[in-house]
Amino acid sequence: METGRYLRLLRRMNWTILGSIIVLAVVGVLFVRSACYSNIVEDQSAVRYQKQVMWSIVGFVCLIGFTLVDYRKLARHAWWAYGAAVFLLILVLLVGRTVHGGRRWLWFMGIGFQPAEFAKVAVIILLAWIMGLKTFRTDSYSSAVLVLAVVGIPTLLVSRQPDVGTAAVFVPVIFTMMFVAGFSWRILLSLILVGVVVVSVFVGALFLPAKLGCSPETQARITKVTGAKPYHRQRIETFLHPDSDPLGAGWSRMQSEIAVGSGGLWGKGYLNGTANILGFLPRTVAPTDFIFSVVAEEAGFAGALTVLCLFGATIAGGIRVAAAASDRLGRLLCIGVVTMLFTHVFVNVAMTVGRLPITGLPLPLMSSGGSITVTTLIGLGIVQSVYVRRRIIRY
Amino acid sequence: MATSDTSDREMLRSYLVLAGMAAAFLFLVVSLWGIQVAHGSEYEQDLRRQSIRRVRLPGGRGRILDRNGVCLADNRSSYCIAIYLEELRQLGQIGRRNVTNVVYDVVCDLSDALGLPVVVTKGQISDHIRKRSPLPFLAWRDVGKKAVAILKEGTRRFPGVDIYVEPVRVYPQGEVAAHIIGYVGRAQSVPAENEVSYHYYLPEMEGRRGIEKTQDSLLRGRAGGLLLRVDASGYKYDLPGHREVMLDPVSGADIRLTLDVGIQRLAERVLGDRIGAMVVLDPRNGDILAMVSRPTFDPGWFANGISQADWSRLSEDENAPLLNRAVSASYPPGSIFKLVDVIAALEQGSGITGSTAFQCPGYYSLGGKAQLRCWNWQHGGHGLLAMRESLEQSCNTYFCSLVAKCGYREVYKTAVTLGLGSKPGCGIDAERAGQIPAVRSLVSKGDVANVSIGQGALQVTPLQMAVVTATIANGGHHYRARLVDAVSRPDDRTFRTMPLSRPKEMNWSRETLDVVRGGMYDVVHARRGTGRRANADGFDVAGKTGSAEYGRKEDRKKRGWMVAFAPYSNPRYAVAMVTDEAVSGGITVAPMIKELIEGIAQIENGMTAGTGR
Repeated sequence: METGRYLRLLRRMNWTILGSIIVLAVVGVLFVRSACYSNIVEDQSAVRYQKQVMWSIVGFVCLIGFTLVDYRKLARHAWWAYGAAVFLLILVLLVGRTVHGGRRWLWFMGIGFQPAEFAKVAVIILLAWIMGLKTFRTDSYSSAVLVLAVVGIPTLLVSRQPDVGTAAVFVPVIFTMMFVAGFSWRILLSLILVGVVVVSVFVGALFLPAKLGCSPETQARITKVTGAKPYHRQRIETFLHPDSDPLGAGWSRMQSEIAVGSGGLWGKGYLNGTANILGFLPRTVAPTDFIFSVVAEEAGFAGALTVLCLFGATIAGGIRVAAAASDRLGRLLCIGVVTMLFTHVFVNVAMTVGRLPITGLPLPLMSSGGSITVTTLIGLGIVQSVYVRRRIIRY
Repeated sequence: MATSDTSDREMLRSYLVLAGMAAAFLFLVVSLWGIQVAHGSEYEQDLRRQSIRRVRLPGGRGRILDRNGVCLADNRSSYCIAIYLEELRQLGQIGRRNVTNVVYDVVCDLSDALGLPVVVTKGQISDHIRKRSPLPFLAWRDVGKKAVAILKEGTRRFPGVDIYVEPVRVYPQGEVAAHIIGYVGRAQSVPAENEVSYHYYLPEMEGRRGIEKTQDSLLRGRAGGLLLRVDASGYKYDLPGHREVMLDPVSGADIRLTLDVGIQRLAERVLGDRIGAMVVLDPRNGDILAMVSRPTFDPGWFANGISQADWSRLSEDENAPLLNRAVSASYPPGSIFKLVDVIAALEQGSGITGSTAFQCPGYYSLGGKAQLRCWNWQHGGHGLLAMRESLEQSCNTYFCSLVAKCGYREVYKTAVTLGLGSKPGCGIDAERAGQIPAVRSLVSKGDVANVSIGQGALQVTPLQMAVVTATIANGGHHYRARLVDAVSRPDDRTFRTMPLSRPKEMNWSRETLDVVRGGMYDVVHARRGTGRRANADGFDVAGKTGSAEYGRKEDRKKRGWMVAFAPYSNPRYAVAMVTDEAVSGGITVAPMIKELIEGIAQIENGMTAGTGR
C-alpha cells in the first residue's frame, strides 16, 4: 500500500527540474574527470570523479527521500535541524580540519564534510517554518529582527571559519525569502540601508586607514574591531587590478578568464582543454571552484550556454513550484532553495568569467565535493516534496 | 479574501524574483559571449603564448686556478643517455596511459644492449614525466666511451634515445688543496632571479665548501633560458628548426688563487699523514701560498653526487677529514703566544726593555705553595734570563713574570690588534675567530700566568698565527691574508686582480722588532734554542716553537706548534704549523719546518722538477 502511495507521489514530481539536474550532475562528473585529467596522473583523477559519482548517487537517494517526506512534517522539526547545524558549526571551529586557511571540515568515519553547507538548508527550513506560521506578522520590525537573529548566529559562525563567501550566501537567500513572505517595502528598504552601511564600514575599514595614512597600529586596531582581514583587501584589489599580481592571487582569475575565452564558440573538445590539462588552471581548484571554466574551455560558448540553460530551467521550475505551492511554508521553502542555488551559480560563473572577485563558492551539482552536492540535492528534494503536494488548480 | 490576497502577493513577488534572476543570467550569458565569441581569438593568443615553456640553462661553471695558472678545478663533458619523450610519442609508441611503462621498457632494452645496469626506477620516470615532460629523461649519467660508441652505431635501433652532454666538475690535481677548493653538489634550491620565472630548471651545481662556496656566485655565471613549445599534453612540440634561445647563458668567472701549487704540494707532503694544519703566507702582501689540513678528502667524490655511504663515512669520521683545520679549528697556541707577550711588554712603554731580566728557579710562584712549573724544573730552572734568551729557551717563569709586570691588559690589546680573536677574512668559508680571554675573566694570578704562556682559555687558528708571524717578519705591517688573487672578466676572460688592501701599521719600535726577531733567530740558531731542528740549508730561518696539552690529562697528549719565517733578512715566507700527537713543537714540528723551508728554497732555485709549475 505504502509503496503504491510513494509511487503515485513520485509520478507527480517536477520532471523539468529532475531532468535538468540529472543532466547537470552527469555533465559535472564528466568534467570533474577532465579537470583532474593530465597526461600522466592516471590514477588520481579516477579517484576524484568516482567519488563525485558516489556523492551524486547519495545525493539523488536523499532527493527521493526528501520528496517522499511531507515538508510540513519536516518543518516541524526545523528547530532540531537548526540546533544541530549550529552545534556542528561550533564544533568545526573547535576541532575542524583546516584546508586552505579555513577551518571548514569535520571528519567523521573517514568522510569529510562541511557543516556550513548543511547549515544553509537548516536555516532555510527554519525560516520558512517561522514565516509560514499563521501568526507571523510581516509588517512589524520585531519579526524582521527575529528573522535576522535566527540567520545571524550561523552566519557569524560561518564567517568565523573564516568563509565569508559562504556566509554571504545567506544574505540574498534570506532577503528573497522575506521579500516573498510579504514583508513591507518599508522594512525591506531599511534592511537594505542597514546592509549598505555595514558593508561600507567594512570596506572602508579595509581601504580608508591606509589611504588616510593612519599608523600601522591604528590600522591593526581597526581591522581587529571590524574583523576585516588583509586577504580580503587583497582579493578585492586583485579583482580590480588583476595584472598587479599575475603570478600570485591574480593567477587563477587570469587563467580562468583565458581558459574560458580560448574555448571559443564550440570549444576544444572533451579532454582537450589546453589551459586545463597543462595545469595553467591550478589543478587544486579546477575540479572544484573553477569547474565552469573547464566546461567553457572544452565545450565552448555552446556548452557553457547549455549548462546555464539547465540551471535556468531548474531555477525557473523551482519558482513555478513556489507559485503552485499549497501554502506559504512550501512557497518559502522553494524560494529559499532556489535562491541558494541561483546565488551559487551566479557568483561562481561571474567569478569564472572575471566579473566578480574570487570567493571560493562552488558550482552546485557540478563542482567536485560531497557536502555541496548532497545538500543541494536535499534542497531540491524539499522542492519536489512541495511540488508533489501542490495545490490542484481547477478551472 | 485576505488569504487569497496574500497568496496573490506572494506569487507576484515570486515572479518578480524570477525576473530578477533571469536578468542576472542574461548578464552572465552576455559576459560569456563577450569573452568566448567576441574576443575569443585574443584569449586564444594568450593561451598559445602560454604553451611556450621556459627552461633555465645554467651557465658553465668557472675554473679555479693557482697563482701561476695551474688548473685546480675544471669541467669535463660527461655523456648521459637521454630519452626524448616527444620522439617516442611521435613514433606512436606512447598512449596517454602507459608512458612510464614504455620509457621503462626502452631503458631495459638499452640496459641489455649497452651492458649497463638499470639505475632508474619507474617512480623516477613517472616523476620526471609529471614534472618535466618536455625535457629529455636521463637514464644514465656519465657513461663510458664504450656505451656511447655502441649507442652511436645502433641509433636506429633506439629511436628517441640520444647522447646528452652534461658538464661535470673535475679537480685535475686530485686531493691537492681539497680544503681550499672545496666541492660542489647538485643545487637544491633554485636561485632567485627576478627577471623571469622558469617552468623547468636544468640541474646546476652549487659550491658547498671552500672557494667553490665562497665564490659561488662568480663561478656560476648567469643562467640563460630556452623556449620550448609544448602541445596540449605537455610534450615538446617542435616546429622544424624551431629552437628559440631566449637568453644565452654566460659562463662563470675563472678565479685565480694566491696558492702556489708547488708549495702546496710540498707542504702537503711535509705534513704527511699527521693530523694537523699548516699555512704558508707571503709576508710582503698576505698572499696565502699554501694551506694544508690533514686528514683530507678527494673533492672529485662529490662531482657526480656523492653516495650516501661515502658521505656518512666522511662526515662521521672522528678525525673530521672535511674540517679545514687551518681556519676552522682553534687551539691553545702554547709558547708561540710568548711572541705577543714580548711585543706587548716592550710596546707598553713603562720601562720594560730587552734587558729586563727575571730569575727562573724552575717554577713561577702563584703565592703560597701554589706554583707553575717551568718546563726544565728538574734541572733547577733557567736561572737569570733577559728577553732574547727567554724566547730562545721558551722560559715559562720569565713570561709569567713579564706579563705580571706589564699587565695582561696590554697583552690583550696587542693580541686583538694582531687579529687574534677575530676572523681573518681571507676569503674562505667557516673561518673561526678563536678566543682571547677578556681582561675581566682572568681573576687569579694563575689564570694570568696560564694565558701568558699560551694556555688556558686562549684559542687561535693556524691562519691567525701565520698572520702574526708575517707581521713580525715584515716589520709590523699587518696584511689581511688573502686567497683570491684575481677574477676573470666574463667578456674577454682576462684577469682583474683584486686590489690589495692597505696593511694595518703596527708602528712597533726598532727595539721591539730587534728583540722579537732576534729572539726568533736565536730559537733556531742558538745552541740551546728550542727550534734548532728547524735550521735549514738555503735560507736563514727564524721561528718560535710551542706545545699545548689537549685531550684528557692522563693521556698526556701534546699538540706541537711552530711559527717561522724565512729568509731572516728579507722574509718572503711566513709559516704556521700545528700537529696533533707531537712530542713537542721543537722535536716534532721543527724538522718539518726545516724540510718545508729547504723545499721552498729548492723551488725558488728552480731545482725541483715536476712540482706542477
